[in-house]
Amino acid sequence: MQPNPLPHGSPQPAQHPPMIAVHNMSKLYGEFVALDRLNFDVQRGEKIVVLGPSGSGKSTLIRTFNRIEPHDSGSIIIDGKIINEKTSLTELRCMVGMVFQNYNLFPHLSVLDNCTLAPQLVRNVARKDAQEMAHNFLKQVGIPEQAHKYPIQLSGGQQQRVAIARALCMQPEVMLFDEPTAALDPEAITGVVSIMDTLAEQGITTLCVTHEMAFSRRIADKIVFMDQGRILEITPPEQFFTAPQTERAQNFLNQMIRY
Amino acid sequence: MAALSFFAAKNKVCKPNKWASALLIGLLGTGLALSTPTMGRAQSSSETVPSFVQDGTLTVCTNPTLPPMTFIQGSDASKPEGMDIDVVRALAQRWHASLSLITMDFTGLFPSLAAQRCGLVISGIIQLADREKNFDAVAYQETALTVVARANTPPIKSMAELSGKTIAVQAGTSYAARIERENVSLAAAGKAPILVQQYPTEDQVVQQVLIGRVFAFVSQDVELYYRQKQLHGKVRIILKPDYQDYRHFAAYLRKNKQDRALLSQTIAELEQDGTLAKLRQKWSLSSQAEQALTADESSGGFNWQSFFSALFSAAFLKGAALTLGVALLSHFIAILISIPMAVALNSHKNSALKWVLKAYVSIFRGAPTLLQLLFIWNALPQFFPIFREQWFTPFLATLVALSINESAYQVEINRAALSAVDGGQELAADALGMKRKQVYRYVIFPQALRIALPPTINEFISLLKTTSLASVISLQELLAITQVQVARTFEFTEYYAAALVYYLAMVFFFLFLQKRVERRFSWADRKKATANAA
Repeated sequence: MQPNPLPHGSPQPAQHPPMIAVHNMSKLYGEFVALDRLNFDVQRGEKIVVLGPSGSGKSTLIRTFNRIEPHDSGSIIIDGKIINEKTSLTELRCMVGMVFQNYNLFPHLSVLDNCTLAPQLVRNVARKDAQEMAHNFLKQVGIPEQAHKYPIQLSGGQQQRVAIARALCMQPEVMLFDEPTAALDPEAITGVVSIMDTLAEQGITTLCVTHEMAFSRRIADKIVFMDQGRILEITPPEQFFTAPQTERAQNFLNQMIRY
Repeated sequence: MAALSFFAAKNKVCKPNKWASALLIGLLGTGLALSTPTMGRAQSSSETVPSFVQDGTLTVCTNPTLPPMTFIQGSDASKPEGMDIDVVRALAQRWHASLSLITMDFTGLFPSLAAQRCGLVISGIIQLADREKNFDAVAYQETALTVVARANTPPIKSMAELSGKTIAVQAGTSYAARIERENVSLAAAGKAPILVQQYPTEDQVVQQVLIGRVFAFVSQDVELYYRQKQLHGKVRIILKPDYQDYRHFAAYLRKNKQDRALLSQTIAELEQDGTLAKLRQKWSLSSQAEQALTADESSGGFNWQSFFSALFSAAFLKGAALTLGVALLSHFIAILISIPMAVALNSHKNSALKWVLKAYVSIFRGAPTLLQLLFIWNALPQFFPIFREQWFTPFLATLVALSINESAYQVEINRAALSAVDGGQELAADALGMKRKQVYRYVIFPQALRIALPPTINEFISLLKTTSLASVISLQELLAITQVQVARTFEFTEYYAAALVYYLAMVFFFLFLQKRVERRFSWADRKKATANAA
């Protein structure tokens, strides 16, 4: 294995410590190296979009931040706390929310109960307060009238909005989006993307794995480009989309444009 | 009554039919070896009381389906009556002991004696040399074998005339073996053998002749004298073969010379003082009764009055309640056991526990339920004497057997249901910070329940009917009650119909319940969810 060609990180002129600091972090599936000695920081309120071909380790990367995929070596520090096997998962997951490609709403619960279950169980929020908060977030994602329906009665775009509201109800400081629009039709994508725009404006730290180039270009502070478990580039979006540094990134962008 | 000798009469002895008996006999061998040395410990102080009378109680096993020797007359299936019961009552009185009667299936009598569940077996059983290899026997009543056919059949002169004909006998009795010996002679003479059909109860044997499926049945004279009232002269004795070795009914006990001597002495005393003579009169065990077996053809047809009185009888209600109770409780326990097992089996880790659980499921799904019941009731006490004690009732044994058996099936249902819940559900719940228990309780189980419910209700309905097997270990559930009542009255159709009504009513109730519960799962169906919201 070669050292990561882009040792990025510490010498950044930041007044505040980074929200997420990743140092030499690796993840293995048996012999297979899924993530290979990654280094990078995410500042508080920063929006990061992770791009790369499928199988490059994008989803695995963001899943290490809420420890749904525990990393094997190196370190991850979130908000000053080292993430390892001793970390309280409850605390970590209150701080880091996640939205999935397939929404993964709980089909047996109403939209409202989807949003209030975890706050009640995990954060010990009173039922009434949890419902009030849920109504607020459902309003924010634009579907306040769907609160009493079951997920199966909603369209894909509406379900993904509920999933976002559900994650927000935990009042996280970091939001992870794992290809949130990949299963949606173009019209629904627009709706979900506009919600993510709003969240970005509110200053919540965001990491998003996506193939939405326009969205990435518009909201990302940085693009992280990955291939084969490594980070090849960490650059501002303008630079990434106009003058990518690596040949691999160029090829990737050419492929995307062809679609 | 005359000393007619018959052959195997309804002796219900240790010739349990079929595979179950083969296994049990094997187990018996060990059991006897273990149990014999322990006898005689309790009452050694008293010389006049046999050692099988323990703590002042004479415990007797009987299969109450052989009137007038031992049978159920009233509606309480736990209170047998008859000649045999009066004999042991007299014995208990002589020994100043209280009498405890245990009723059970015929094939369970000797295993229970070996397992020390009872001290004596008395159930209209023929005294046979074969049986005396393993147990001691003391005769108390003369008897004779009879061949009985429908009323219009002419008498025959010898067993050889039955060549090529079909006759019915009760399973577990030694009649079949006796007929085999006839068949050897028939074969030597170049004639066709007698064909034998075996039925689990005496009343079914009689029924085969009444409906004309078989030519004749083999029975004991005493029973026939009693039954002629029920049979309304529809049958007659066509032959009384004189078999030397089928002349006496005997009470059986575990091998013990001293006990046997005491028992014979007491029976001889009862004979001398006229007690037994009085009892014979009471139960019509006299040859005069034979003459009463004459025609008086009465009509068949469905007796609605019997049907309704059975349907609303306390006995049937109790039997149905017991059936329902055993099924509900054992399924409940099975579900409790099976959930953690299914969760463990569904985990991705490969552990030793998983192998143990797989073995458990394979064994208890593989072995016939009836065998498991018999094993727990009859074999377990051979290894663990604690299971002989009174607290281990047929109800408890059934509960244990059916719970274990059912859990093996339920595990598979649960496992399939759990793995049918999308993996993304657990992922999402994890990402929301829920603890393992919360993930299962609030997210996975409610969804798995919807998938598991229909096959679970199916299993329950099947289990409800499986409880009828427990009649072999003397549980007085619905079918056992039905059979006992049929043996008493011979009104097959009416009592079967009443039992059918109970079974169907229970099953329909649970199907209805299933529909109601499924409505609560409308979240899984877009149309229904919308309809419910509207």
